[in-house]
Amino acid sequence: MIGAGNVLFVIAGILALAGALITVSSRNPIRGAMGLLATIFGIALLFLKLNAQFLAAIQVIVYAGAVVVLFVFVIMLLGPDALGEVGSFPKGKSKVSRGIGGGLLAILAGVALVLLAGRGGAHVRFGDVQPDHGSVEAVGGLLFSRGLVAFELATALLIVAVIGAIAVARGKQTKSHLTPAQRGDGEFFHGTVVARDDRGRPPSKGDG
Amino acid sequence: MGMDGLFSIFPPEDFTLLCVILGLPLLGAFVNGVFGKRLGKEAVSLMALVAVGGSFMASCAAFFMLMQRQTETEAARFVWHGWKWLDISGNGDFQIPIEIAFSVDALSGGMALIVTGVGFLIHLYSTEYMAEDDGFHRFFAYLNLFIFSMLVLILGDNLPVLFIGWEGVGMCSYLLIGFWFTEEANAVAGKKAFVTNRIGDFGLLVAMALLVWHVGALDWQGIEAGANNLLTPIKIYPLGNGVPAWLPDFIRGPLTPEDPRGVRVTAATLVGFALFLGCAGKSAQLPLYVWLPDAMAGPTPVSALIHAATMVTAGVYLCCRMAAVFVLSPATMATIAIVGLATALLAASIAFAQNDIKKVLAYSTVSQLGYMFIGIGVGAFATGFFHVITHAFFKACLFLGAGSVIHAMHARIHDVDRSQDMRNMGGMRNFMPITHLTFLASCLAIAGLPLTSGFFSKDEILFKAYTSTIATPQVSDGEWIDRSTQVTWPAMQAWTPPEDLGRWIYTLALLGAVMTAFYMFRLYFRVFWGEFRGWTIVRGWVAPAGGHHGHDDHEHDSDEPLDGPKPHESALQITVPLVVLGVLAIFAGGLNAHAFFHSHLFDDWVAPVLATASSSVGEIEGAKEMMMPLLLPGIGAFAIGVGGAYWVYVMQRGEPAASFVEKVPWLHRIVYEKWRVDELYEETFIGAVDTLGDMAVWVDQYVVDAVVARVTSFAVAASGTILRTMQTGRVHAYGAVMVAGLGALGWFFIAPQAVVTVLADDDSGVYSVTASPGLGYQYRWDEDGDGELDSDDFGDKARVDVQLGRSEVRLVQVEVKNALGFRSIEQIGLFRPQRDGASDGLAGAAQEAKEAADSAAKSQKALQDIQRVLQQAGGNLPGAGKQPAPKPVGGAP
Amino acid sequence: MGALLGNVLEHYVMLAGVLFTIGAVGFLVRRNVLVQLMSIELMLNAVNLAFVAYNRVHGDDMNGHMFVFFIIAVAAAEVAVGLAIVLSFYRLTGSVHSDDADALKG
Repeated sequence: MIGAGNVLFVIAGILALAGALITVSSRNPIRGAMGLLATIFGIALLFLKLNAQFLAAIQVIVYAGAVVVLFVFVIMLLGPDALGEVGSFPKGKSKVSRGIGGGLLAILAGVALVLLAGRGGAHVRFGDVQPDHGSVEAVGGLLFSRGLVAFELATALLIVAVIGAIAVARGKQTKSHLTPAQRGDGEFFHGTVVARDDRGRPPSKGDG
Repeated sequence: MGMDGLFSIFPPEDFTLLCVILGLPLLGAFVNGVFGKRLGKEAVSLMALVAVGGSFMASCAAFFMLMQRQTETEAARFVWHGWKWLDISGNGDFQIPIEIAFSVDALSGGMALIVTGVGFLIHLYSTEYMAEDDGFHRFFAYLNLFIFSMLVLILGDNLPVLFIGWEGVGMCSYLLIGFWFTEEANAVAGKKAFVTNRIGDFGLLVAMALLVWHVGALDWQGIEAGANNLLTPIKIYPLGNGVPAWLPDFIRGPLTPEDPRGVRVTAATLVGFALFLGCAGKSAQLPLYVWLPDAMAGPTPVSALIHAATMVTAGVYLCCRMAAVFVLSPATMATIAIVGLATALLAASIAFAQNDIKKVLAYSTVSQLGYMFIGIGVGAFATGFFHVITHAFFKACLFLGAGSVIHAMHARIHDVDRSQDMRNMGGMRNFMPITHLTFLASCLAIAGLPLTSGFFSKDEILFKAYTSTIATPQVSDGEWIDRSTQVTWPAMQAWTPPEDLGRWIYTLALLGAVMTAFYMFRLYFRVFWGEFRGWTIVRGWVAPAGGHHGHDDHEHDSDEPLDGPKPHESALQITVPLVVLGVLAIFAGGLNAHAFFHSHLFDDWVAPVLATASSSVGEIEGAKEMMMPLLLPGIGAFAIGVGGAYWVYVMQRGEPAASFVEKVPWLHRIVYEKWRVDELYEETFIGAVDTLGDMAVWVDQYVVDAVVARVTSFAVAASGTILRTMQTGRVHAYGAVMVAGLGALGWFFIAPQAVVTVLADDDSGVYSVTASPGLGYQYRWDEDGDGELDSDDFGDKARVDVQLGRSEVRLVQVEVKNALGFRSIEQIGLFRPQRDGASDGLAGAAQEAKEAADSAAKSQKALQDIQRVLQQAGGNLPGAGKQPAPKPVGGAP
Repeated sequence: MGALLGNVLEHYVMLAGVLFTIGAVGFLVRRNVLVQLMSIELMLNAVNLAFVAYNRVHGDDMNGHMFVFFIIAVAAAEVAVGLAIVLSFYRLTGSVHSDDADALKG
């Protein structure tokens, strides 16, 4: 019989898949970010179904709360330049990419069909779990006992990443040999548009 | 009562007071080294003084606690075990744990007192002496680090820990010799000291390795307990000559009891020599003494502390520590004594002709160290060590006094070399009375004025040199079994030194005593008596005799006053240490005044520690009665030396010396140039190394750079040209490659893996075949080997047991289906040998298998499978019958 | 069949595989660096899902959860640095087109 759990799986799965498809196919990155958000919520629901309450919460907090917001922030910062490309799929030299993409999708579809046809061997069914499986207490206890060293290293990694992000995003404070217009600073800070070549690049990359 | 309290805080088996002794100087070094620049000079000197002073107090407490516990026969010993450092594999199947552990006993307790006590005085002195220096905090950081390293050396409970301190003091010595590193000569001197010491350290490392091998311990108690194992006979090429000695061992075969080759060399001799090489490096003995005189390039307090009072005596300390090893080899003992004697005489002779006040003292130090090693070499360990202590007092006082004089001269002459030149001094007693008196006291002590400390220590060494004998070790008594190897060796006679060696040493050392008294008082009279000769150095000054001298090119402005500042007595921070050390130099001899007071406090104090070694040291008949007769020549030596110096340099105002130089200029020149030992080394060893280096440069230029580098660069450039085409610069191209790899990996995981493991038991003939598990895997089998799978349905059975008869061959198949329905099949050939263990070896087994396969009329494929099985399991076949061993068989899907 | 939906491992692995492939294809096909970064996030999420699903089979330990936790931490760090690089890249070239990042072309 089909119960609430089965329905939850179907809904969450469709949510995740649809979000993923929107992410990779939409022309506007903002719409892509919204798709990513849908995927993230879908996967958070699946985590709940899989008795991973703690991870579901983390998924929502970190991905939806931080990562996607950061994406949106950067997209807003870049403004119309964030579109980056003319169409959602590039025109011109894209036959190879389209071939690869199409081929992979075809393989994917084939595998999915094979699986859905149920020709496989024995199913690996989920058994019973400990009552506190995936709870905050259990995962936290594990993190601060067996995973303590890795946990501390992860904190160090995050600090390094934050400092690195600041250092990279600030750019060099020393004077470049390029003029502000050449560096693109002018258009970035003042909204002035400089001439570009046919690829949408500013004219100055020191070619030649 | 107070002691009980101390013992309850610091129990002997967990003596954390040692951490206080060691930790304070380390803390001082850290604070001064890291924050010194910001702290300012007052704070730096306070930190340094408190660190060393506190360490001294703690050492005193430890010393009193030792006095409380030590009895006449049993040595008190307080240990602090830090942590286990490493394990060393010994000779045989056991591990030797090396601990970071420290201990204090009578020997190290006394030495720690000297190091921290004299160290404190010299720190105090330095606060004034170095006050004007820009590197003030650096100096005190190094000095504190030195004290720490020296304490590690002394208090370390095993040789590796001692070695840490040994290298630490070497490094501090290097840093402090080159303290004014902007002058190249100073940096070179530091380097010379460092490199020369490395040669000695090599000896120490070899000794450690040999001790691990022969004794199986590196801590003091373990070495002492196992020292007798060192009486193993060994072969040192070309000693030992039953068969032609020039034949290398690999032709003559190993040393055996049947072929002992007349060996007289024991491992004790080898260890002794290696240890002594280390001691000779650190304590500046022939042939490695050359670094010490050059080390005077460092600041004078450093010369006093490191290169006179403490570090250079580390070799003597180590000899006393390892006394139980040294006494096992009379040959080593004799060598030590002779080397000490030769060093003492050579250094004393060089000191005659030097004009630099610090150079004279440096050679005097080398000479006195020679006396200490004479004491060690004749078995008078306690006496040699007592000379370390008295020498620390009077030589530190002499150096500090010389520093005070230089300081005074420096105020007038702003030039390092000239302010140290005795020819520019004279009459200093009028300007600096305290320095003069303390310097005189120390001169008298080192020259051996009766009842001063130097008299009691040096003349005791001479007395012992005449009267002591070293017992020939037990190895000579009949057959003897090597404990570690259980080999019985025939009776052997250890090498014994000639009987009159002691008399020769006594006589020549007496000559050295005359020389010591003469050159020390030559120094004293020329510096402190007569007229001050430095007036001529300041430009425009008219000397009392009238007329300009050759030094008027000195860079002073012409409008300066004609008379420069007079030399003056130094400040309190300098004179107080001088007075303390001067008093000790006179009276410290009372601790061990055998001659007149029959006092032997010091001997009794260290006797329990040296008990094992002392049991091998005897004395000639009638030694007690000889004390006075042997003492008189010593007093005579003092009188002759001092009287001679007085006659030459005071009564005749140096005329005899000058005319002597005129008569035999070549002799003066060669002595002045230190017997040209440095030049000799330069021409031989250093030249050889240089040549080697030049050759290496040639090879580098014309082989490595010309051929190897070009070939490599060509290969790199060529492959770069090819690989560059793949570097498209498109992120997507790279991404596509990654995804392709991922796809391949994915296929590997999706495809079913039919891999089987065979557990063979040839005895019972049961072969169990297990297929590896996987996601949703199901199996079906062909157990009976008829080539048909036994059932049409897949099941969960992942393992089958096959029973085979003798020589039977069977081909088992398994088919695996995974969750996606993909299938894979695998065949395994099983074969049971005819006999257990297949003793005919692989060839026989293969033959058997072929016959069996033919008779069973199996297909060609089966035969190939069998051969593959045999190849894979081939190495294990002979032993396969003994125990079942898993043999992985099978392969890819 | 219907009752099995969402209660067997294969379904989750399949879903994760599909998500991963979508992410991979997006990464390869799109030229917008921002979208490519989002595709990477999709792939990471797919892997996380697989980890948790496999862990669900082994009910008495939670090593899979630990892995996912650390993957999320690393992903957060990666996004921070990645977006900083995008900004920096944009400032340098004036575009977010990944074909413009060809300074290392051989």
